[in-house]
Amino acid sequence: MAEVHVIGQILGATGFSESSLFCKWGIHTGAAWKLLSGLREGQTQVDTPQVGDMAYWSHPIDLHFATKGLQGWPRLHLQVWSQDSFGRCQLAGYGFCHVPSSPGTHQLDCPTWRPLGSWREQLARAFVGGGPQLLHGDTIYSGADRYRLHTTAGGTVHLQLGLLLRHFDRYGVEC
Amino acid sequence: MNPKEEKMKIITEEFLENEEDAPVEGLKSSKLPRQKRKKQPPTGGPGEMVSGKAQDDIQEEPVKQEPETQLLSMKAGRGPRNLPPIPASSRTSFAEFSMRERMREKLQAARSKAESALLQEIPTPRPRRLRSPSEKELETEFGVEPSKEALRTQQEDGSQSYSRVKHHEFIRKIKTKPLVPPGFPSAEDAYNFFTFNFDPDPEESEEKPKATAADKDTQEEEAGEEEEPPMQEGVNKTDEEELLSGKDAEEFLVGLDQTAADFVDVRPADYESVHVRMQREKEILFIPSRFTVPTYKKLPENVQPRFPEDEGLYIGERPEVSRTNQNIVENRLLTQEPERGWFGDDGRILALPNPIKPFPSRPPILKQEQAVHVELEMLYKKAVNYVTCSQHMIGAGEAPGIFQLDIDISGLIFTHHPCFSREHVLASKLAQLYDQYLARRQRNKAKFLNDKLQALRNAVQTGLHPEQPHRSLDTTQKAIHEYKAEIRQTRKLRDAEQEKDRTLLKTIIKVWKEMKSLREFQRFTNTPLKLVLRKEKVDQKADDDAYEAEIQVEVSELLEEHLEDYEQKMEEYRMAYQHWKAWRKAQRAKKKKKKQAVVEHPDEESEEPCPEAEPCPGEEPVKPVPPELTEQAVIEQQVRERAAQCRRRSGEPVLVPELSLAGSITPNDQCPSIVFLLVFVGVPFSFEADGSNQLILMTSGKVSNSVAWAVGEHGVPLSPPLSQQIIGFRSALKRADAISSIGTSGLTDMKKLAKWAAESKLDPNDPNNSPLMQLISVATSGEAYVPDFFRLEQLQQEFNFVSDEELNRSKRFRLLHLRNQEVPEFRNYKQIPVYDREIQEKVFQDYEKRLRDRNVIETKDHIDAHRAVVAKYLQQVRESVINRFQIAKHHFLLSDLIIEEEVPNISILGLSLFKLAEQKRPLRPRRKGRKKVTAQNLSDGDIKLLVNIIRAYDIPVRKPTASKFHQQSRSSRTFSEKCAASPAPHSPTHGVDYPLGQVLVRPFVEVSFQRTICHTTTAEGPNPSWNEELELPFRAPNGDYSMTSLQSVKDDVFIHVFDEILYDVLEDDRERQSGIHTRIERHWLGCVKIPFSTIYFQARIDGTFKIDMPPVLLGYSKERNTMIERGFDSARSLSEGSYITLFITIEPQLAPGETIREKFDSQEDEKLLQATEKFQAECALKFPNRRCLPTVIDISGKTVFITRYLKSLNPPQELLDVYPNSPQATAELVACYVSLIPFLPDAVSFAGVCDLWSTSDQFLDLLAGDEEEHAVLLCNYFLFLGKKVWLMMGNAIPEGPTVYVLTWEQNHYLIWNPSSGHFYAQYDTFCPLKSVGCLIGPDNIWFNIQRYDSPLRMNFDVTKPKLWKSFFSRNLPYPGLSSVQPEELIYQRTDKAAAAELQDRIEKILKEKIMEWRPRHLTRWNRYCTSTLRHFLPVLERSQGDDVEDSHRAELLKQLGDYRFSGFPLHMPYSEMKPLIEAVYSTGVHNIDVPNVEFALAVYIHPYPKNVLSVWIYVASLIRNR
Repeated sequence: MAEVHVIGQILGATGFSESSLFCKWGIHTGAAWKLLSGLREGQTQVDTPQVGDMAYWSHPIDLHFATKGLQGWPRLHLQVWSQDSFGRCQLAGYGFCHVPSSPGTHQLDCPTWRPLGSWREQLARAFVGGGPQLLHGDTIYSGADRYRLHTTAGGTVHLQLGLLLRHFDRYGVEC
Repeated sequence: MNPKEEKMKIITEEFLENEEDAPVEGLKSSKLPRQKRKKQPPTGGPGEMVSGKAQDDIQEEPVKQEPETQLLSMKAGRGPRNLPPIPASSRTSFAEFSMRERMREKLQAARSKAESALLQEIPTPRPRRLRSPSEKELETEFGVEPSKEALRTQQEDGSQSYSRVKHHEFIRKIKTKPLVPPGFPSAEDAYNFFTFNFDPDPEESEEKPKATAADKDTQEEEAGEEEEPPMQEGVNKTDEEELLSGKDAEEFLVGLDQTAADFVDVRPADYESVHVRMQREKEILFIPSRFTVPTYKKLPENVQPRFPEDEGLYIGERPEVSRTNQNIVENRLLTQEPERGWFGDDGRILALPNPIKPFPSRPPILKQEQAVHVELEMLYKKAVNYVTCSQHMIGAGEAPGIFQLDIDISGLIFTHHPCFSREHVLASKLAQLYDQYLARRQRNKAKFLNDKLQALRNAVQTGLHPEQPHRSLDTTQKAIHEYKAEIRQTRKLRDAEQEKDRTLLKTIIKVWKEMKSLREFQRFTNTPLKLVLRKEKVDQKADDDAYEAEIQVEVSELLEEHLEDYEQKMEEYRMAYQHWKAWRKAQRAKKKKKKQAVVEHPDEESEEPCPEAEPCPGEEPVKPVPPELTEQAVIEQQVRERAAQCRRRSGEPVLVPELSLAGSITPNDQCPSIVFLLVFVGVPFSFEADGSNQLILMTSGKVSNSVAWAVGEHGVPLSPPLSQQIIGFRSALKRADAISSIGTSGLTDMKKLAKWAAESKLDPNDPNNSPLMQLISVATSGEAYVPDFFRLEQLQQEFNFVSDEELNRSKRFRLLHLRNQEVPEFRNYKQIPVYDREIQEKVFQDYEKRLRDRNVIETKDHIDAHRAVVAKYLQQVRESVINRFQIAKHHFLLSDLIIEEEVPNISILGLSLFKLAEQKRPLRPRRKGRKKVTAQNLSDGDIKLLVNIIRAYDIPVRKPTASKFHQQSRSSRTFSEKCAASPAPHSPTHGVDYPLGQVLVRPFVEVSFQRTICHTTTAEGPNPSWNEELELPFRAPNGDYSMTSLQSVKDDVFIHVFDEILYDVLEDDRERQSGIHTRIERHWLGCVKIPFSTIYFQARIDGTFKIDMPPVLLGYSKERNTMIERGFDSARSLSEGSYITLFITIEPQLAPGETIREKFDSQEDEKLLQATEKFQAECALKFPNRRCLPTVIDISGKTVFITRYLKSLNPPQELLDVYPNSPQATAELVACYVSLIPFLPDAVSFAGVCDLWSTSDQFLDLLAGDEEEHAVLLCNYFLFLGKKVWLMMGNAIPEGPTVYVLTWEQNHYLIWNPSSGHFYAQYDTFCPLKSVGCLIGPDNIWFNIQRYDSPLRMNFDVTKPKLWKSFFSRNLPYPGLSSVQPEELIYQRTDKAAAAELQDRIEKILKEKIMEWRPRHLTRWNRYCTSTLRHFLPVLERSQGDDVEDSHRAELLKQLGDYRFSGFPLHMPYSEMKPLIEAVYSTGVHNIDVPNVEFALAVYIHPYPKNVLSVWIYVASLIRNR
């Protein structure tokens, strides 16, 4: 019966070698969670920074959850994509972070990674774009199969999340 | 004691001291070494070295001096370099002080130098000794000097020019300052001297030591050289006093430049040869040799070295010293102190044992750490090659690592042990042998081989006598050959096995015998072993036969083999023999030749046999021996021997040994002696008496144990995951690994898992897969049970705050959720309460009711059962369509999100410039376009509906009431008549009848929208002009201003025209002077109804509309007197009605909803679809505003070509029967019938999603539709009637984009409005259709490519290709598309009784409503009047409202003579109750509040086929005239 309200924004991203970035995001929760209102997933616009390195999206996130347990606390998974001059999109990084569990405003930095692939694929990526992507998006947050992957670092996605918690104290959860 | 060495040491010490002092304490501190040196000569004595050194120092100064100073300078160099910066850094008192000190000294030195310069011309160091009594001081000076020199040379270059300048200046100064008294300068003087005259202090302070150094140079070497200026400067500085005292000094200074060359002395570089130096060093230094010292040197004379270690004494280990060092030390000791007892007896240096322990004596601290943090211990693991392997274990609930392997050691059996006796040894041997025997017997290899042999033999037999002749001989031969080879092999193996068996048996028996004998010998038994040989009797005869047969077979086989062998050998022999023969022949021939050749040598012939071989001794083949055929008897003999050896003899019983522990052990007391004969381990012993056949036995034994994984508390085996190897193999197969192929989360998805299992063809019987299989079977069979270990979120239930039910019960959450889902009831719910208790249960009632009633047809609202069904159906279609397009609505284009102001270009700028020149108030103002607002941030009150009512034409005028009425009641004269009449000069007193100057009507307009009412002022006359703007607020349903919501607003804007009548109600004529007492009555004349959706989609509605008037309007008539007819004759004569000019818009302008940009699937031909797209694109390119719609969407959401809708369909037979002779009348009747089908715009029902076209039968079933359906049905009826007819797409007022029907009559075109049933001639100015986009016939589409699109100015001749672009042409012929319409329409006769019932119910409801609307007044019903009206309504229906007015009025007059009557019939199609109520309300009949008013209301329903109902409502108010 406790409620969690996540209000915030995906500020932007830094440190990506590619420009023209956009971000697909989604929130994954356990079975105990019920979305009361808001959108679970979305996609930002493509931002091409004119000044500086940071791509700004300022993409709003507004979700209202009800939960009957603590398991499966909302997890935010991100996919940063870059769009090249031909309008093709290629993966720039996967990221994952938990939604903070304490109320208040939080600044989150979510580092990202992407699969590296074989040298052939790397070469192909460098010249013709594309590149290896995860077949199953849930690998981003489940992590069970990750040890198979060879990855390389992407940039960092910056998030600003504000949390409102309600009735957690009723069930003995202090926050 | 070596005096020489002693000296050496001292000297070096002194040097060291000197070195130390010199740099640190400078010149001042040089007193200490000086004293030491003074002391030294007496102590040191006249040693060679000292004297030598002294001499060197003093006498040989020119030579010796250099190295010494060099040496010193090397060491001292470091010190003084630090000094100068100290004064430079700051003017501290210390700096000043030290500076002064040094100055003083330098002055002193300079003075002495100057003196010496005066005394001596030759600048040798020698005079210094004469002059200066203290050599030491000089020495120290030397020590300092070079360092300063070095310093100077460093800075020289930079300061040279500068100092030169200063120098001149300085000279001047000195010259001007001759009066300074001699002696030391005071501190202030010196200070001033150094600070004031030179600008930069650091330079100066550095220069000073330089200068002192320089002047010392001059002292020693006559200071000539290149560095003149600094030197002179130094001289100037230091020799201040002397210069002042002695005039020659001045000369010296001034004349310096001229005499520079005199001071220069060129010298060679000083060099001391290495050889010389070595020589001298050799004299001084002692270098101990590195070579080993002979022992005798180390020991006293005549003493032999003795080694205590050899004598058995303990000698500690000597410390490690390298041999060379040892030698050096020994040599040194021998030379230095030979008398001291450095050496031990063994001739080596005495040494204590090595004190270094090989291991650390410190207590290990490891244990302490361990005690503290056991868990923090770390284990180093080597880097290993990473092998990709899956370690996933489904449902590994236990943490890995807590495995437990239980090993149960049940027993240990020794095969040998030190405590074994001989008997034990034998027993164990016997046991082993027996085990072996058992094992062999179990395998029974011999028998297996025997069987095989038999089989092979059979095979050979059949092969030899083939029953299948077709078999090729070759293969049989080959096979037989192979078989035989195998038989041979197998036989050998069998023999070997049999032999082994037999020997084993023999050995067992032998060991047993040995044991028995041993037991007998030792007379006791200490092992329980007992061997029993069981004899199995065999059938003697059969055994014999078998044995014999076996031998025979074997013999024959062997014979065969031998024969084969023999054959082969014979062949070889023959070959060889041939060869040999040939050779022999050749040999003979040769011999013959030889014979002939050597006849003379007969002696040689005797040797013939020998020399035969001579010519080719190696090649001579031996004469082959023919092979012998082996005798059968021999072979048999052999076979029998072997059989006897390895096989049980025939008739011999089969021996089966059985070992048991049944034997009794002799009890201890019965043992003959206590001494056991023990067999030692590792010691050879023998069972034989003679000691032969020795055995060496080692302790050995067997451990019997059992191994198992332990079982945990919950019965879970504590075993590690399945074997890595197996899983690795599976993951290599990739598909076989569930997790890698479907992902981890897939494991929770049963369907996925099952699918994967099916795909990867898991072996359901594989125990590895059993849990998976079980799970899948459980999941697919639909049982609720899911094994625990497959849950990813374990312990979910235990940690839940609340149960699911409680969560679902929360009203707040439910409300939030429903709102989020955009459930219509909650879509725009705002401010959901925070607490559950604040939410009332009834919030959900509507929603729950709707859910419940989804499939229950509610007849209450609809009265008519059929319509209720239809409404339900429509609702369902609507829902499905909306769901279908819900997603499509979320696809946004860039323009949906971003409104970008156009960048002003030159044309816009130009236009704006023109605007400057525009008239401020144009004579004919035009409306300007406004900015569109997306309906997002709007709220109640933001949107207003602007209705601009401009003028009206042809309003009906009041008919003069019958004169008798008028005359009867004066008071009932209308006030307006009076008012209007009074100003008229020639108006009569009773001007009612007067045709001229009479105010015929005083109309005003009332606009009602959403129950808000506004009205204009009252104008006068039948053609009034108001030109007024009315503002009505707009409120969206549920406060939702989203696009979809606005599109689905069903409200209509009613524009009513009323006539305002003022009645004078003044009772007393006397009061007429003092007051006016009138009553205003208003009479409804007509109305215009415009749906809000039209306004919303059109954004503005501008035009002249026909006022919808009742067919009978009592008391009013359309006067066509000549007085008011002016220039409109021609236009008006054609039209019969009143018109109103309006402008309606919404403020702010709202962006209309977008049409769906979605492609629909279609069953049309692909080519046709492409053609339509092309056609549409071409049309849009030429005339973007003209409508062209080759394809439409049917009710199931499929794209259909539009011509398929047009097909001749039969109208109801009743309609055709009415006017069998007049096609025109029939056509009108049909049109009327079509118009009676209620109008329901798609845009409203489908919330702007799209325009759906239903077929005619669907339309008739639904009994609702918009223009398209009406038009299609009308068109189809006309086709049936044999008219030439087209669908006409265009824009009309007020509908907007719409569809009309065009028919070709005999010589003219008629435009039919299908929703109203009216028709217009082509040139009718008041035709609502304003533009035509395209015409659609049953077999073609024509697009309007004429210049004008107004029907007034168009040519409808579609055969002209220049005017009409046809879709199907020669290039694309009409393919003969089948129609989507049914073959025939079937009409049911409407139940008249039901209609009558409905009629009564409607009447009742309306009456109740009217009473409801008059809450404060009594509503009386005039039954008489009502019945009169009721009779009249069917007449109206029959005549369609034409030409009945007069008779009707007359009748009314006759019956209701006493009443003033105002009322009118309303005619409308029936859909449901609400529009009827709304229509009655909007007339405002109920608004009369005259106390004695009475009402009359009559309803008539005329049923048409297919449940189409025409509803007539006659509503009237009656006021009794008094």
